[in-house]
Order: sequence, then C-alpha cells, then structure tokens
Amino acid sequence: MIPALEREDLKVIGFNLCKFGNIVGFLLLVPIIVAVIYKEFDIIPHFLIASSITFILCNVGIHFLQTKKEMELKHALCFAALVWIFSMLLAALPLWSTGSVNSYLDANFDAMSGFTTTGLTLVPDIDHLPYSVNFYRHFLQFVGGIGIIVVSLTILARSEISSVLAFRGEARDMGIRPNVVRTSRVILGIAITFMVVGAVLFTIAGIKEGADVGTSIFDGLNYSMSAYGTGGFTPHSQSVLFYHSALYEIIAVIIILIGAFNFSFHFAVLGGRRREIFKNTEIRTIFITLIISTLIIAGLLLLSGIYSSPDVLFRKAFFQAASAHTATGFGTVYPAQISAVWPGAVLFMMSLIMILGTCANSTGGGIKAIRVAVIGKSFIKEIKKALSPNSAVVTAKFHHIDDVPLTDTIARGAMLIALGYVLLLIAGTTITMLHGYSMPDSMYETASAVGNVGLSSGITTPAMHGLLKATYIFLLLAGRLEITAVLVLMGFAILGLRRGIKK
Amino acid sequence: MGLRKFSLINFLKKNFNFIAGIFSEIGLTLLIIAVAMLICLLLVFIKSAP
Amino acid sequence: MIRKACFFAVILVLLMIPPVSAESGKELVENSRHFDNNMVTFRGEVVGILMRGDYAWVNVLDNEVAIGVWCRANDAKGVSFVGDYTHIGDTVEVVGIFHFACLEHGGDLDIHAENFTVLVSGGAVERTPNLLAVFLSAVLVALAIFTVFWLRRLRKERGEIVPWPMSWT
Repeated sequence: MIPALEREDLKVIGFNLCKFGNIVGFLLLVPIIVAVIYKEFDIIPHFLIASSITFILCNVGIHFLQTKKEMELKHALCFAALVWIFSMLLAALPLWSTGSVNSYLDANFDAMSGFTTTGLTLVPDIDHLPYSVNFYRHFLQFVGGIGIIVVSLTILARSEISSVLAFRGEARDMGIRPNVVRTSRVILGIAITFMVVGAVLFTIAGIKEGADVGTSIFDGLNYSMSAYGTGGFTPHSQSVLFYHSALYEIIAVIIILIGAFNFSFHFAVLGGRRREIFKNTEIRTIFITLIISTLIIAGLLLLSGIYSSPDVLFRKAFFQAASAHTATGFGTVYPAQISAVWPGAVLFMMSLIMILGTCANSTGGGIKAIRVAVIGKSFIKEIKKALSPNSAVVTAKFHHIDDVPLTDTIARGAMLIALGYVLLLIAGTTITMLHGYSMPDSMYETASAVGNVGLSSGITTPAMHGLLKATYIFLLLAGRLEITAVLVLMGFAILGLRRGIKK
Repeated sequence: MGLRKFSLINFLKKNFNFIAGIFSEIGLTLLIIAVAMLICLLLVFIKSAP
Repeated sequence: MIRKACFFAVILVLLMIPPVSAESGKELVENSRHFDNNMVTFRGEVVGILMRGDYAWVNVLDNEVAIGVWCRANDAKGVSFVGDYTHIGDTVEVVGIFHFACLEHGGDLDIHAENFTVLVSGGAVERTPNLLAVFLSAVLVALAIFTVFWLRRLRKERGEIVPWPMSWT
C-alpha cells in the first residue's frame, strides 16, 4: 500500500533542493573570473543577477521548508529528477539575459543540454559568444558530468532496479546525505585530475597545430571539460573540426573514453587494482561494441565510396563512432553531411550505439554497458538452461570490481531500463516525425537526445518548433536519469493529485 | 614550522598507484585507438585486394 | 552600434563587388558531393587562423556555416582581425577547389584556396555595460547578502540552525 503524500514529504524534497541551489549560486559566480580576464565587464552583471536570484530564492526556501523528516529513497529519487529541472531554470538565466540565445526556452534547452552533458545547442552564433559565457557552457557540462555520477552512485543505485550500479567499497547502509558528500569529494578529485591532464594535452596540441597561446589555453580548458564530461559543447561552431588536426582528435578520443569509463573502475585502477582493466565486464563490453560498430560503420562508408583511405576512415568513421558511443557528441563531419550523404544504415548504426551508451556511473548516457552485458549474459544463460537437463543449475556472473552473480533481479532491472530507453526512442522519433522530419533523421536526433550524446542531423536548430524543444528537454532529462527517477516524480505528482496532500 | 623540502621521488613513491593508474587508463584508450586503426587498414586492404 | 555599422559596411562592399556568384556555406555542405573537386567562391568572416608552416588553416564563417580554408601562410598573415565577441573578423573571399573529403587532410570538408582576398577589414566591437543590468545586479547582490545573513540569524536565534559544515552530514 503506497502511503499518501504528506506535506513533510514535499518539505524534505524542497528543503534539499534549496540547499543544493546554493551550490548552483556559487557555480554561477565562477564565469566572472573568465569575464574579468577577458575584460567582458558588460557580462559580469548578468552572472551576478542570476547568482543573487538563486541565493535569495534558495535561502528563503531553506528558511520556510525546514523539516525534521529524514530523506527516504522516494524523496531522493524525486530530488534527483527535480534537481536537474531546478538547476536548469536557474542556470538558464545568464544564457538568456546576455542575449546568447534567442529565448528563455532556448536558454533552458542549452542549460539542460549542459547539465545532462548532451551537447545539442540552440546558440545561434557560438563563434561570437562572450568568452565567459562560452566557458560557462562547458563548465555546466563538467559539473553536470560529476553530478550525474554522484546521483547515480548514491541515489539511483539504491533502487533495486539499478542495484547493479552500487558503488562497491561504500557502506550501503550509510544515510543518503552523508553518502553524497563523501562520494562527491572522491569523484571531484578524480574528475579534476583527468580534466587537468586533458587541458594540458589539448593546450600543447593547440599550440603545436598553429593556434596562438591564448586560444590554445582557452580551447584546451573547454574541450577538456567537455570531453571528460562527455558533453559535446565546443568553443567553436565547427566542433573539433576547427583544428583540422589528427593529434587533437586523438587526444579528444583519449579523454572522452576516459570520461566514459565507470567511476568505480577509476577508483579501483587509481587505487592500485590495475588488473581491473582486463577483468572488468563493462570495459570489455564497451571495447567489443565500439570495435564492432567501428567495423560496421567504416565498412559501410568504404563500400558506399564516401571514404576510401584508412586514415580518413579512422578520422571520420572511428571518431564519429567513438563520439556517439561515449555519448559525447564531438563532430568531425558536418551534421548536414551525415544527414544528406552518409548511408541510412550508418545513421541507424550510430543511433543504436548512441542508445547503448557508455559505462554506468560515468559522465555518459544511454542504457549503459553493464546492462548490455547483463542482457547478453542473460540470453546466454537462458539458452544454456534450455539445453541443460531439468535438474541442472545454470549460473552466470559478471565482473564489476568484484565477481557479481547474475541474478534474476539484476537481469530484470537491466531489461526494464533498456525497454524504457527503447520506448523513449520510439516516442521521441514519432513526435519528431510529426514535425515533418524524415524517419532516419528523427531517430538519429532522438537517440542523440535520449542517449545524451549531442550529435545532430540538423534538426536541433534555433528555428526548431517550441513544442519539439520542450519535448527534447524532457528526453534529455529522462535519458539522463535512466527514466526511473522521472517516473517516480510522475508517480508522486499523480499520487498528490489523486489523494491530495496530508498535513 | 620549517618548510619541508619537496622531493619528486618521494611524491612519486607516495602517489605511485594514482599516477600508474592514469597512465594505465590512457594506455587502455590508446589500445582501443590502435585496434580501430588496424581495422580501418584491414578494411581498405580487403577492399583493394584483387 | 559599431557592430551594426560594420555589418552594413560589409553589405555595402559586397553589393559593390562584381556579381561573381558565391556559394553559401549551407549550400556547399548540403550538396558537398555535387561540389566535390569543383572551383567554388566562398565569402565570409574569419573566425579562426591556424598557422602550419608555409600554409595555414583559415576558418571562414558565412552566417550559418564555418568552413576551413587551406591557404598560403602569407594570405593568412594578411588577415587583420579574427572574429570573436569583441571583434568582427575580416571578410574574405576565397576562390578555390572544394573537397567533400579531402584526402590530404584526413577527409575534412575544406577549400584549397587558389585566390584569397581580404574584402573588408574587420574591427573592434565596443561592448558597454547595460546600465539597467549593472543597477539590478548591485541591488540584487545587496539583497542576497542581506537575505542570507538575516535568515541565518533568525534561524540561529530560534535554535534551528546546525553549524556549517555539519549541515550537509
């Protein structure tokens, strides 16, 4: 029996949202440093306004929503869904007020795309954006990438459906809030390390490839934040193609792959358990799916005569496949070229790997490699069961830091989430097609949104219909939260509407 | 309180696992890249074979 | 204001140029196979320069799409301004061979310039702070500081506050 909603339930969620909002308030002040460096004094007031509004709203909320009730799983799941919406509304303010986008809806789209590390953008003129606003967009992706790891490890993993995501090494009976704080610190340390490594590599590459030092440093920092966050925003409209450089693309692939790895994997390897590189089921799965998809995509492009030399195939086919599979969204091919020239079968393959996604507990999106592995092993287990005598006991396991038995609960959870993604893909594709776009393009764009990838076939532009923008904002959020938290939030809302709210 | 002299070797020893881990992960990504390059080479070779 | 003036100056110069039809970036990219290995004329604003020894990449943006132009380093050195937030980049006209997937450059879509001309020199764009935004920011910052500390004080007096940083554990 599901208990009725109480006022205290709403207060717990609201209180924690407002407490978190203070962090957003501080984050909104960081781009001011960049604005000062680049003497963009006209931009500083916009960030101050957004930050001040955030602090005022959140502190008033904290004051009036104080409650002694402890946060339970249902509150945490609602919080996980609402925190992205709440942050989006606040983070959109400076994007809108600086005139970087055409409307507040567009600003919300970009803010959500930033926080969910998607990379689809409605900014009409990236090349003339203020440096501070450009930095801010990439910073949102870095923060969003860290944020989703924290949420997925500490909140989503507590639900049975996603128990496979549980961070091994942390006491699961620890309360939710202390868990979040402790885990955040570790994640932040590792994320900053790789981001700095990436920034240094990109900067050196930029200077080597002929950019001036200032541009190399600024781009290096932004590309690294976006790459580690598997975001997809870039400081230039041409994405990675701006540099026309194999070296830059290889560094990008290194960092996006690292961003796509499971945080628990990072924690184990950086803690000395380097054998995990060879034993981890997710790493093996993503290795296999990436190589197979590269083989298929490169093969199709070669057969269609579009690209004919190995280095071109590597820089176009593999790069785009890696970008899609790691849910990053960096491009070395124009969206219009992909839509108009690449074969439909390639678009389908890319859509598939975008939905498959990265490792769990990473900055990327999609169904996740661990679930793909679980589903695959479940099928093999069922086939073995069918071929074995009735009295035989067939077991299966996978390795995720430790050996984990493949139980029916884990298998069921993986398949339910995968089904959820497929349903989102169908719904999103249908709605996009209803706006007059072709099926391959609609599926590609929807897969990109649901998988939080950011590659576009040209549908996502400022001229996109408002309803489609709102739909895609929902898809970005639902995909990011693996649907569960969004469904719990909807359940909360329906419960409140049906039974009212008890005092 | 005097300043301790910074020793690179001590720093590396203390953080050996962390630094080795970073290089290991980069090595893993380079392995993936190398395999992808090999696939592209093989595909072109197979296509151009008589 | 200055940005608008530069924009109209560019339009004026473009209108004075003999009517050689230039392909738009959108046209080139959407019909890239059709234009492959053909001579094209492309005009736009310089938004990036990368020097590569005797040659250079100049990224040229024409309202919608930026395309990389491979040209001689001397041509690139003739560009005075690169477009960004505080500058309008030089408007250039490039006549050259268009490649859908340039074999020399890893399959990139590019134009190898045979003729590179700076049509209009760019310039600095003055960005003055919006007085309303400045005023609003000052008022809101003051209000935010007041609100945060006053409410904290109220809660402390009521005994509700938990000392930071324990409040998140």
